[in-house]
Amino acid sequence: MIGLGWKYLIRAVCSGLLFVVIAISAQAAEIPFFQEKIDAGKLPPMAERLPDDPLFIDFEAEKKIEGKYGGDLKLLMGKAKDIGQITVYTYARLVGYATDYSLKPDILKSFDVKEGRQFTFRLRPGHRWSDGHLLTAEDFRYFWEDMVKHPKLGRKGVPAEMLVEGKEPTFEVIDHLTVRYTWEKPNPAFLPALAKPSPLYIYRPAHYMRQFHEDYADATDLLAWVAYAKTRDWTGLHTRMQRQRRPENPDLPTLQAWQNTTRPPSTRFVFERNPFYHRVDSAGKQLPYIDRVIMTIVSKDVIPAKTGTGESDLQARYLRFDNVPFLKQGEEKGKYKTHLWALGKGSQIALFPNLNTNKPQWRKLVRDVRFRRALSLGINREEINEAIYFGLANPSANTVMPQSRLYRAEYASMWTDYDRERANSLLDEIGLTERAGDGTRLFPNGDRVEITIQSSGESTEETDVLELIADHYREIGIKIFVRASQRDIFRRRAYSGDTVISVFNGLDNAIPSAQMSPKELAPTAQPQLQWPKWGQYLETNSKAGEPIDLDEADEQLGLYHKWMSVTSYNSKEEVWHKMLKNYADQVFSIGTVNNSRQPVVVSKDLRNVPEKGIYAWDPTSYFGIYKPDTFWFDR
Amino acid sequence: MSAKTKLPENHYVNTEPFDARSIEVMTPEQEKVFLASQMKLMWWKFKRHKLAVASGLFLLLLYTMTVFAEFLAPFSLDSRNSKYIYAPPHSIHLYHEGEFIGPFVYDYDRELNLEKMQRIYTPNKDRIIKLEFFCSGDEYYFWSIIPADNHLLCADIEKPVYLLGSDRLGRDLLSRIIYGARISLTIGLVGIAISFTLGIILGGLAGYYGGWVDLVVQRLIEVVQSLPTLPLWLVLAAIMPASWSPILIYFGITVILGLIDWTGLARAVRSKLLSLREEDYVLAARLMGASPSRIIGLHLVPGFMSHLIASATITIPTMILGETALSFLGLGLRSPTVSWGVLLNEAQNIDVVALTPWLILPVVPVILVILAFNFFGDGLRDAADPYG
Amino acid sequence: MLLYICKRVLYMIPTLVLISMLVFFLIELPPGDFFESYVNELLAAGETVDPKHIEFLREEYGFDRPLWERYIKWVSGLPFGDFGWSFEYELPVREVIGDRLFFTIMVTFFTIIFTWLVAFPIGIYSATHQYSWGDYGLTFLGLLGLATPNFLLALIMMYLANQWFGTAIGGLVDPEYIDQPLSWAKVLSVLEHLWIPVIVIGTSGTAAMIRRVRANLLDELRKPYVTTARAKGVPETKALMKYPFRMSLNFFIADIGSILPQVISGAEVVAIVLSLETTGPLLIQALQSQDMYLAGSFLMLLGFLTVIGVLISDIALAFLDPRIRLQGGVSR
Repeated sequence: MIGLGWKYLIRAVCSGLLFVVIAISAQAAEIPFFQEKIDAGKLPPMAERLPDDPLFIDFEAEKKIEGKYGGDLKLLMGKAKDIGQITVYTYARLVGYATDYSLKPDILKSFDVKEGRQFTFRLRPGHRWSDGHLLTAEDFRYFWEDMVKHPKLGRKGVPAEMLVEGKEPTFEVIDHLTVRYTWEKPNPAFLPALAKPSPLYIYRPAHYMRQFHEDYADATDLLAWVAYAKTRDWTGLHTRMQRQRRPENPDLPTLQAWQNTTRPPSTRFVFERNPFYHRVDSAGKQLPYIDRVIMTIVSKDVIPAKTGTGESDLQARYLRFDNVPFLKQGEEKGKYKTHLWALGKGSQIALFPNLNTNKPQWRKLVRDVRFRRALSLGINREEINEAIYFGLANPSANTVMPQSRLYRAEYASMWTDYDRERANSLLDEIGLTERAGDGTRLFPNGDRVEITIQSSGESTEETDVLELIADHYREIGIKIFVRASQRDIFRRRAYSGDTVISVFNGLDNAIPSAQMSPKELAPTAQPQLQWPKWGQYLETNSKAGEPIDLDEADEQLGLYHKWMSVTSYNSKEEVWHKMLKNYADQVFSIGTVNNSRQPVVVSKDLRNVPEKGIYAWDPTSYFGIYKPDTFWFDR
Repeated sequence: MSAKTKLPENHYVNTEPFDARSIEVMTPEQEKVFLASQMKLMWWKFKRHKLAVASGLFLLLLYTMTVFAEFLAPFSLDSRNSKYIYAPPHSIHLYHEGEFIGPFVYDYDRELNLEKMQRIYTPNKDRIIKLEFFCSGDEYYFWSIIPADNHLLCADIEKPVYLLGSDRLGRDLLSRIIYGARISLTIGLVGIAISFTLGIILGGLAGYYGGWVDLVVQRLIEVVQSLPTLPLWLVLAAIMPASWSPILIYFGITVILGLIDWTGLARAVRSKLLSLREEDYVLAARLMGASPSRIIGLHLVPGFMSHLIASATITIPTMILGETALSFLGLGLRSPTVSWGVLLNEAQNIDVVALTPWLILPVVPVILVILAFNFFGDGLRDAADPYG
Repeated sequence: MLLYICKRVLYMIPTLVLISMLVFFLIELPPGDFFESYVNELLAAGETVDPKHIEFLREEYGFDRPLWERYIKWVSGLPFGDFGWSFEYELPVREVIGDRLFFTIMVTFFTIIFTWLVAFPIGIYSATHQYSWGDYGLTFLGLLGLATPNFLLALIMMYLANQWFGTAIGGLVDPEYIDQPLSWAKVLSVLEHLWIPVIVIGTSGTAAMIRRVRANLLDELRKPYVTTARAKGVPETKALMKYPFRMSLNFFIADIGSILPQVISGAEVVAIVLSLETTGPLLIQALQSQDMYLAGSFLMLLGFLTVIGVLISDIALAFLDPRIRLQGGVSR
């Protein structure tokens, strides 16, 4: 008992000391950007702006060096709505992925999960919005009761990730810093949804939003606002003013590292540092280091050219692998370095045999696993790698990347050797033995085995790879044509079953951990090009689409449901492995190469940007998990 | 005029039949001019515009080439060699170490430079590839019927000769330009045929009938003309069903190009008709009971046909450029279909300009063809008015 | 005269109604709508999309209503300057277009000046020296601009300007001056960028202009009064400039109709390549993403300006030439 007391005392003294040290050092190093405002009394000093226990970033563990304040980070964007990338890059979330892809509290002080169905969130005391108001449980209540459950605002319904088998959670405010969500059954999708690059926002700055809410605002003021914003009614106004992902409203308080100061329309958006940001470096200095982020909107075609002359300090968006020689050439003059990060897709380019195609003869064929295997064995991945990716990528099936904890070599190598003989014998086995004069195989009824592969024409890379594959397939007696159409039309055709095989990129999340949902491996959504109708069936609760009538696909869905219901990490992991193995063995999609390279151009003076990284939307949030708030200029 | 006339009182009338030529004797040259048909006159006039004649010949040559594309191209359309990606154009030599051995090129040594992420090619003076003509190369079906493998300049894809360099898959740019000419050169012709037909019919109706027909056609023209061309192309190109085969899309695009272009012609036809229909010979024809279509088709249109052809010639380039613009916007034709527009679209980025500039070469035939059409059209137009 | 103007103005109404119908119809024609392409864009970026949310948006923006109802709603707002809502920008269309109008007008203005400066001397020379080598050579130069695909020329010039003079790539002004008040430095920066689009867009128009100046002047020069003037010993320059040249300028007035819409459409392709902050790229983007009210209102605006332009030139010509008044008008 005494021992324990001593421990506590020592701990208390130590942390007290630490706090003093931090407070002193913090006082010593006030952020120059705010100095004027602090002197004028408009802003409190750093120690008072930070939450009582800010989030320490472990610089040593992340191999970062402490930096100094100041500078503008210039970025180039291709569309007005790209300003939403700031929320992707800065990546302040209630919970977020750490560099090892585990979920860690970020804005939250802590979270607690019971039985996978009860989530208790604790906020940081003294944590403030960018306008200085405290972040409290009220902000969560406002979202749930005044927005989602409001008869007018809530017409959109409860967000999909907050529904388990169609049922919503009960929401409780425990105290002014603690909230709790409880479902009847486990909801494993909840936390990952909060950590996504475009996250589920379950809180709003209530003190600001109330002025646009019918229940709180003065009716005449509200009418004036509606007229000003030219929206149809107050709900439209409310929706427009609260947008977090696309921070167009400069007055909207934020918790991110930088806040927009430019009102659209504009082609140049300036984001200024949030004085109340909750993260600090290992010395306790408030982040971010960089004062302002400046996004210039230009047409996306000139972005490689502009980057190549050093007009961007940190650029990966709109750069492609083909730009690398040009970017390398300009390094000296443009004062930047071109890093090559790994692109986080299950396969850079993958073929998706449409198991729901409405052509009976073809449906029978693509549902035959031997056919899909033959198609996979018939691709010379080495040549694709050499010709298109400069030999830097890895030949692989469409599966998780080696960087993932769930990776096993067999998943990547299953049915991916270039083995024409085996492919040919598989095709013969199916009964496609007859051949036309030019060597193309024939169906028993005499039709030629000619496939039109539908492409969305996103990149020439796609058509180039297909051109190589066309040559490879000629060797196994299958003729392919490529038809590029617009993205919308491409999708429509696949959904309606007109497409036999489509080409698209592979798994979107190629570095998952077992906590993340394996839904990409099972028929769960219409956009999945190999089984759009089955996916739609699940997505719409059997209202549209078709029920699954292929055992192997049904098994994947069963496993997915199992993943949803089990709670321990190990059993989730087990389900994942089963699904990955099935997926690879069944060749539901045909991968080519993954781990190809994404050029990331970094100004010579910009520090703490890792030389090697993974460039992906999910789960890394592009630069998000590498913490741009810790980047700084050494000038 | 004549010496034999006398005063009124004493009329002397010469009984001899009057021969005007006896007074005004024409030189053989003059005679030729006066007796020449209109076509002949136009031809003479046209000949004076030397550049137009040269352009005409050049165009004729190009169109003939499209017919023999398979034979003229060293490689077939999709032959590629991934060992020669982005190989620069070979330069042709005649002498090797001072010794004449006929046209040949030096084979390239390739080095992968991981620092620059480029493939660097250097000519290897020890490996000579001689150019051979009229021998066997890639097999093809001539006019998609006759199997053949002869090429004007043959080359083996394993030891390729790239006179204009190669692209990102190691395909010969020269061959692709030659094949691309098929689509790019014909697209204008088909398009113009469509706009021509439309223009003559609608313009003819408006000009001949006048009244409410004229009013409706005029509004229609005004509406079509008041919309900017490019967005209109864009919208129309987006409508084309995705299930169309490349051939259908090709025709779709020509129709689109033609649909928007007809207004100018219709206008010209209308105003010409408006003035011509008042001529006496039209009245005569009408009195004799000729039907309107006969009058328009037989009597009026030939009167200004040459004019129409000339102005049509000048709009062909717009269509060729229109095709490249549509390709640029990602609508219309797309790879793997090959047209000059598609090739240029692939060359449309800063990397190409800075590192592999030979891929811009398809612009040369585009420029030449457009220039040629313009000069040819100018010549035609000047000639269309042979008495001017 | 008043009657004539009145008639012409009345004729405009059916034309405008027709244009609005055509525009709306064309914009509606491609399969899908903005929300579909929005979803597909998100999917391409790797995001997941809640289909429910999209349905909600469709309803919110009235896309569940029948076509004619939406048309009426859109078209009835137009006369009052209510151009509808841009989904892409989440702003009223008027604000989106208005923001870019200034630069667009500037580029067009300079381009027109450039075209005239180049085309007139060449046109006059070519007409007076028909079929000479000078005629061929200059026409050739003029045509070269027309013959080179604009997007390529723009790209190459942009690259070379950057390599040789260090001009920042793309845009009409260096990024640091965007949203800054007008200053001497900003003007210089604009001028530094302006010449490329002006030359690229200008050269494509000069050929046509040269040809017209040449043809009109040739027609005029063949007329007897010129011969008379020459025969009477009027100096060659005066014989040329006094009447023939002036007369040949008539087509300019007829040309106003095409200049007006140009002022705001701003050569789309070049603007995209050079990343100009003009309205052209806006229109193309809107068409591609099916941001239909932005695209539709924009096209409508262009159509309206053309019609007005034609009207102005018709009235001007009618003032000059009574024959036209009586016959009911020429248009361009």
